[in-house]
Amino acid sequence: MIHLIKNAIHEGLLNIRRKLGSFLITLLMVSLSFMVFDIFLIISWNLGSALKDEQENVGIEVFLMESINEVEAVNLADIVSGMEGVRSVYYVSPQEAEAVFRADLPEQADLLTLLGPQFHLPPSIQISLHPDYRTSEKVGGLARTISGMDGVEDLVYGKEYLPGLTRAVDILEKLVILAGLVLAVSLSLVVANTVRLAVARRSLTVQIMSIVGAPGWFVKVPFLGEGVLTGVAGAAGSLIFTLAVSWMLSSSLPHAFLPGKWIILVLILGASSGAAGSWIGMKSGIPKPRS
Amino acid sequence: MITFGNVSKFYNDWPALESINLQVQQGEFLVISGPSGAGKTTLFRHIWMGDLPSTGTVEVAGYRSDRIKKADLPFLRRKLGIVFQDFRLLPERTVFDNVALPLQVAGTSPKAIRRRVFSLLAEMELNHRRGSFPHELSGGEQQRVAIARAMVAHPVILLADEPTGNLDPEVSRIVIDLLIEINRSGTAVILATHDPRQVPAGTARFLYLDRGHLVNPGIWDGYKQL
Repeated sequence: MIHLIKNAIHEGLLNIRRKLGSFLITLLMVSLSFMVFDIFLIISWNLGSALKDEQENVGIEVFLMESINEVEAVNLADIVSGMEGVRSVYYVSPQEAEAVFRADLPEQADLLTLLGPQFHLPPSIQISLHPDYRTSEKVGGLARTISGMDGVEDLVYGKEYLPGLTRAVDILEKLVILAGLVLAVSLSLVVANTVRLAVARRSLTVQIMSIVGAPGWFVKVPFLGEGVLTGVAGAAGSLIFTLAVSWMLSSSLPHAFLPGKWIILVLILGASSGAAGSWIGMKSGIPKPRS
Repeated sequence: MITFGNVSKFYNDWPALESINLQVQQGEFLVISGPSGAGKTTLFRHIWMGDLPSTGTVEVAGYRSDRIKKADLPFLRRKLGIVFQDFRLLPERTVFDNVALPLQVAGTSPKAIRRRVFSLLAEMELNHRRGSFPHELSGGEQQRVAIARAMVAHPVILLADEPTGNLDPEVSRIVIDLLIEINRSGTAVILATHDPRQVPAGTARFLYLDRGHLVNPGIWDGYKQL
């Protein structure tokens, strides 16, 4: 059995060596197709990271009534911190709010002096949320609950931009999956066509092998191996090309290259497209033995 | 060893074989002659089960056509050696690799393959040609390589479908002598040919196939009647 497997692998390598030229052309075709996908993934990855960073900052700022004292404010903060989706709560006293205002907007600090010692900025509670709760729907629901509580004057949570941000992240994730599927199908067809041509070119070999008693898998393994190798090598080649392009553009257009997990995903996509292509090619290409 | 039990084969209602009853014993030499389209090749296809009968059953070396599974076909075919009129040698392989193929697909070790192929090529006086490609050989040499490929895995039955069809009379005689020698060593040989007179009288049993029917099997002696 070991010799049989060795012979099948040897047979596959011989096939590739015998038609190295056409194998390299197919490899280049697959690499270029994958490169389009890799570039799309890099854009998606960088855009997605920016959107995710933005989502990280999503929280609720609750402005309390001026009449509320510090003990009541801290009690309110305690109640809010126990709510579902709330990760942490920070109470900002009027004095701290004023200090922050002076530090962040020093040119406007005179405004506070003009308004006199009777004026105080309102106390507030800053709420940060669990990642799952950073969607417009969930933040909106939480905000509605908090705004109905005693002592709450007003609150802000990025109502205007959050629905768009959530939708953008959602669409981007779906686009990546869709592009992956489209690419997998198109690459499978490219590999299928190559394998079908290879089978047609080797129809005599396939027939003779079958007639002299080769098991079905012995005939198929070399074609399957060729398909998987084309897919993986094509995907790896595309990553190398894309890395070179990415490196050349990095100074004029700062961006991050794909993370390790995505690189593995691209290689797996290459292998599965190659395997699927081989299977389709063999299904339609392998002839029945005749005499 | 081979039994055809009332075998008929129809392709779109056209009868390629009709009511064939035939038995081939171990070590027998059977010559089947008949005109083109008589069904000789179809009969052979039924022996290596490249085709299955429409009705009736074929039994070859213990494998029955009505029970055989796809996975059993390689094991049946490893018991057979097949030679074709057009040689069917793989053009991109050397003589050695062509002859070694049946052993490679059966999982034989490289050392055993080398030993067997070298000895067979020497027996058939082809050792000096082992590194040549088929297009570098004469017709007679190509057919001898094809016979070597058919014999390399020690088959119990050798099927030769018009093996001399593309060869001149002198080379044909060499090929027929080789088949007789193979038969003498104990392998059953079934030869399909247009011209049964190529085989010396008394060395074989003769059958005549015409339009899918065996003509007077048992009493017909094509050799004497031609």
